[in-house]
Amino acid sequence: MAGLQDIRRRIRSVKNTQQVTKAMKMISAVKLRKSQERLVALRPYAGKMMEVVRRVVSRIKGDSEIQPGPAAQAFLSPREEKRIRVVLVASDKGLCGGFNANVLKAANAFAAETTAEIVHLDVVGKRAAEWARKRNLTAAGEYLGIPLTGFQRVVTEISEGAAAQYHAGEIDALYVIYNYFNSPMSQTPTVFRVFPMELDRRTEGREAVEVSHLLEPDPNAVLETLLPRFVETELLRNLLESSASEHGARMAAMDKASNNAGEMIAKLTLTMNKIRQAGITNQIIEIVSGANA
Amino acid sequence: MSQSIKLEVVTPERPVFSAEVSEVQFPTAARGYYGILPGHTPLMTEVGDGLLYYVQDGQKHWLTVFGGFAEVGPDRVTILARESETVDMIDLERVEADRQRALKLLKEAHTEHDLASAQAALDASLIRLQAAGHPAGHGF
Repeated sequence: MAGLQDIRRRIRSVKNTQQVTKAMKMISAVKLRKSQERLVALRPYAGKMMEVVRRVVSRIKGDSEIQPGPAAQAFLSPREEKRIRVVLVASDKGLCGGFNANVLKAANAFAAETTAEIVHLDVVGKRAAEWARKRNLTAAGEYLGIPLTGFQRVVTEISEGAAAQYHAGEIDALYVIYNYFNSPMSQTPTVFRVFPMELDRRTEGREAVEVSHLLEPDPNAVLETLLPRFVETELLRNLLESSASEHGARMAAMDKASNNAGEMIAKLTLTMNKIRQAGITNQIIEIVSGANA
Repeated sequence: MSQSIKLEVVTPERPVFSAEVSEVQFPTAARGYYGILPGHTPLMTEVGDGLLYYVQDGQKHWLTVFGGFAEVGPDRVTILARESETVDMIDLERVEADRQRALKLLKEAHTEHDLASAQAALDASLIRLQAAGHPAGHGF
């Protein structure tokens, strides 16, 4: 039978692919756990940090006696956004479903929508770098193949650079475009403005009731050290969100691929058995008709 | 007025401590140690390196803190520490090794920068030893 050999070969090939996708799924599960652990550990800190910054900022806003220093300005009185710095976070590798496509689509939409000029683009991950090249954008900062342990360094570099640019009046805002980690199965591409900080009405109303803080040794000294830490923490959280999302997306994609491979194997096996059976039946018929004659 | 303070210590790596306590004292970067009792004026300041203690059921307990920020309210103290650990988390052997290494580096240091980083490492190990009640820490 001509078809039989081909089908056997195909089954073997699909089995090999399935083995690869299964292994990749397993690896992603381990990596996901690592990223997720760090993210879950950081979230309470980031949450508290956000709370504290909101309280201090709304406190300073409500007090006309305090003259905010340059770093504090970034959070208190947003300037008109003419020039912005954008950090685009995608992954280094593919095979992770819609992970990169979704975040790059969000980046496209953001680039089309914004009226401000993107004067400084940082890309994290090869896919983000490729996107920038395709759109003829020059990425001032390229961070490729960064391991989980290298995030802190990236974050420090970007946040210090952005703070200096803000002071020099080169940029008016810092945005991050990344995948928010809802759960291992679901990610949401998100555009987040790190600073100037958005104090929504809800929190401002609530914080107004709070008693005012003493800021020691003096308000500016506290803000000047607190705000860079806040930016760093938020950036680190965004990178971890993206990393956890990536591994979650890859795990889901590889799981699906393994299942599809399984289905395909089942189908091919069925066809193969049918053909084999047909062959046997044919031979029997031939023998029987031969004997009858 | 509430008679207790909710003390929370969190670091980027993990939440370290969270409980109701009756008194807290922590090191600040600029002004020495701050002791906080229930009903304290709201306050926000930078945390220094050193030992934090809290009193719970009349018992004093120690934590190490290294940098970060403290936010104080009438019924809460939130420490956003760069690093922090409870006494249980301290690995004495490792800290002792750190101390010896720091001492060695201190002797070999040539530049201002090397000297400062070796001194900082030594201080950190001494703070940890002191928290764990190790005799070497008491010289600090």
